[in-house]
Amino acid sequence: MKYSSKFSVIASIFLFFSCAESLDFNQIDDYVNKPIFTASLTYFTVVPADFFDSTGTIQQNSISETTNFDALQSQFVKDNLVKLDLDVAIKNEFDREVTIRVEFLNNNVTVYTFTPIIIKGNTLNYKYLEEIEIASNSAILNTTQVKITAELENTGIQLNLNDPIEFEFKSSVTMYIESSF
Amino acid sequence: MKNILVVIVFVITTTIFSQNKQVLYDFGELPQSLLLNPALENTHKLHVGIPILSGFSTQIGSSEVLLTDLFAVDNQNINDKISQVLHTLTSDDFMMINTQVELLNIGYRLNEKTYLSAGFYQEIDAIGYFPKDVLVLFTEGNDAFLNRSFSASQIGYKFDVLGVLHAGITKKIDEKLTLGGRFKIYSAALNLESTNNRGTFTTVQGTNNIYTHYISNVKMEQRSSGLFDTNDEMIEDPNEYIQRTFLSGNLGIGFDLGITYHINKQLQFSASLIDIGFINHKKNVKNYKEEGSFVYEGFEYEFDPNSNRDFWREINDRLNEELPTVENENSYISWRPTKINMALRYSFGEKRSEICYDNSYQDFYTDAVGAHFFSVFRPLSTNVALTAFYQKSFSKKVHAKVTYTMDDFSYSNIGAGMSFQIGKVNFYGMFDNILSYRNLSSANSVSLQLGINFIMN
Repeated sequence: MKYSSKFSVIASIFLFFSCAESLDFNQIDDYVNKPIFTASLTYFTVVPADFFDSTGTIQQNSISETTNFDALQSQFVKDNLVKLDLDVAIKNEFDREVTIRVEFLNNNVTVYTFTPIIIKGNTLNYKYLEEIEIASNSAILNTTQVKITAELENTGIQLNLNDPIEFEFKSSVTMYIESSF
Repeated sequence: MKNILVVIVFVITTTIFSQNKQVLYDFGELPQSLLLNPALENTHKLHVGIPILSGFSTQIGSSEVLLTDLFAVDNQNINDKISQVLHTLTSDDFMMINTQVELLNIGYRLNEKTYLSAGFYQEIDAIGYFPKDVLVLFTEGNDAFLNRSFSASQIGYKFDVLGVLHAGITKKIDEKLTLGGRFKIYSAALNLESTNNRGTFTTVQGTNNIYTHYISNVKMEQRSSGLFDTNDEMIEDPNEYIQRTFLSGNLGIGFDLGITYHINKQLQFSASLIDIGFINHKKNVKNYKEEGSFVYEGFEYEFDPNSNRDFWREINDRLNEELPTVENENSYISWRPTKINMALRYSFGEKRSEICYDNSYQDFYTDAVGAHFFSVFRPLSTNVALTAFYQKSFSKKVHAKVTYTMDDFSYSNIGAGMSFQIGKVNFYGMFDNILSYRNLSSANSVSLQLGINFIMN
C-alpha cells in the first residue's frame, strides 16, 4: 500500500493542487469585429457622341443610368454597417463643367443623394469623397438601386460630336463594419 | 453565439499536440501500450479493462497562444488582445483534439509465444489549421491590404467521431524478435474534412475602375458525412452520433503493425505503424465544391436609353457561372492519420525476476533509459516529437517513468507516469507537461492518460 499512497499523493498534486490563473471569458462580450471592406462600384467613360440623340444633331445636356444594387440588402450589413465611404475619381477632358449626381433609390424613390459633384472643364485628376455615417443616414440602408446622372454645363455652344475627348468616371465603396457577438 | 466563440477561441488557443503518448509507450507492460505497438511484450496471462475506466486519454496544448493571452483579467482591451493573437499565429499553427475512451479491452495468452488482445474504443479526433489569411480578411477586411493575396490554401480541417473495434496478436518469433499486428474496423459517426484547397483573393489598383478584384484559381472542397440526415436536416442529437460509433456508421478498415527486437539482453528496439487505414463514407454524405476564377471591377454604365440592363444581376449570374458552388452526395474515402513510433531502450540496474503467466520466472532490469520518436501524418503537415525517457521499476508491480519531449511546439515538456498493481487490479496515470500544472490557464500543453485494468500474470 505504500506505493498506492505515493501514487495518491502524486495524483493529488496534479489533480487537486494544480493552479489556474483567474480568467474572465465574459470579456468576449466587449469584442467588436471591425473589418473595413472596399470594392469597386460603377465606372463609365463617355464621349461627346453620348450626349447626342440618335440623329446625332441634338445635344442632350443630361444623361443618366440606373441599376439594381442589393449590397445593402443583406441583414448582416443592415445590422452592422456603421459608415460608408464613396470614393470618386474623375477625368474631364470636356471644355465645360460637368455635374455628377449620385442618387441611392428604393423602388425609384430617392433615399440618399450625394452633394452634386461639379468638375470644371479640362480637369484631369479630380477626386471626391462622400462619407456617410449610417447612424444619421439610416435610410440609405433601404437602397435597392443606384442612379448616376451626368449633366453638361449649358454654355450655349454644342460639343463637337466627333471630338475624341472623354469624360471618365470611376468609383468605389468602402464599408465600415462593426459587429459583436 | 458567444458560447460558440468561446469554444472556438478555446480550441484555437489550446492547440492540441499530436496523439503522442510518449509516457504510455512501452511502459510497465500496460495493456493499453499494445494499442501503440502490438508487438510490445508482456507476461500477462489475461487482462480485462474495466469498461469505460480502463483507458481515458486526452491531450491539450498550445503552440503560441495561451488562454491567459486572451482572457486574463488584465484591463487590456479584448480587441487589442485578439488582434495581437491573430498576428502572433502563423498559418503553420494548428489546433487539434484527440480523446479516446475505451469501452472494452481484453487480452488472453493463447500460448507461450502468442498473446491475443481485442477491444473497442471511441475516439474524437480533430485537426484544424489556422487559416490566417481568411481570419485577417474577416477581422480586418481588404481595405488596408491592396495587392495582398489572401490564400484559401491555408484552409484545412478534419474532424472525426468514430468507434474502433479491434483485434490484435502479439507473436514472439524467437528470443530476440516479437512481431505484432492489429486489425481494426472503424465506424465513423461524423466526418468533416476539407484539404488540398487553393485559390486567392486579391484587390489591386484597377485600370477601368479604381480597383480590380481577382478571385483566382479557386479549387475548394468541403466533404461531410453523418452531419445531415436523409431529410437534409442537421443531426443535433448526440445519442445518434454515439449509436453510430457501434458499427452502424460509415465503415472502414485499418491495421497496426509492430516489431520488437532485442539487439542484446539490455538493448531493445521497437517500432510501430498505427492506423494504416481508411473509412469509406457513403451514408449521409453532403459535399460542396467550388472551382473557377472571377474578376470584378464594378458595373460599367452605358447610358443607353434603349437598354434595361440589370448590372447587379449580371454580376451575380457571372459569379455563379464562373465560380460555381456544386453540391453532391458522392461517396468518398478519408484516410486515418497514420502514426509512427520508434524507440530504443537500454535496460540496466538491478536484475530481478518476475513471475510469468506459466509460473516461470523472467529476469528484468529495474531501470531503463531510451529515446522515442513519434510522427503522425496530417492533412497539411507531418508532426514529429522526440522523447528521452527514464523508467524505474520499484518492484514487479510498481513502475514509474519520466519523459522529456521536444516537438514542434515545446522544448520543455516533462512528463511523468506511474503504474501499480494491487492484487489483480492495475492502476495507471500519466501526465504530460507537468510543469504547466503550476498554472493551467497559461499552459502550453496538458495531456493525461488514466485507467484501471484487471490483470492476471
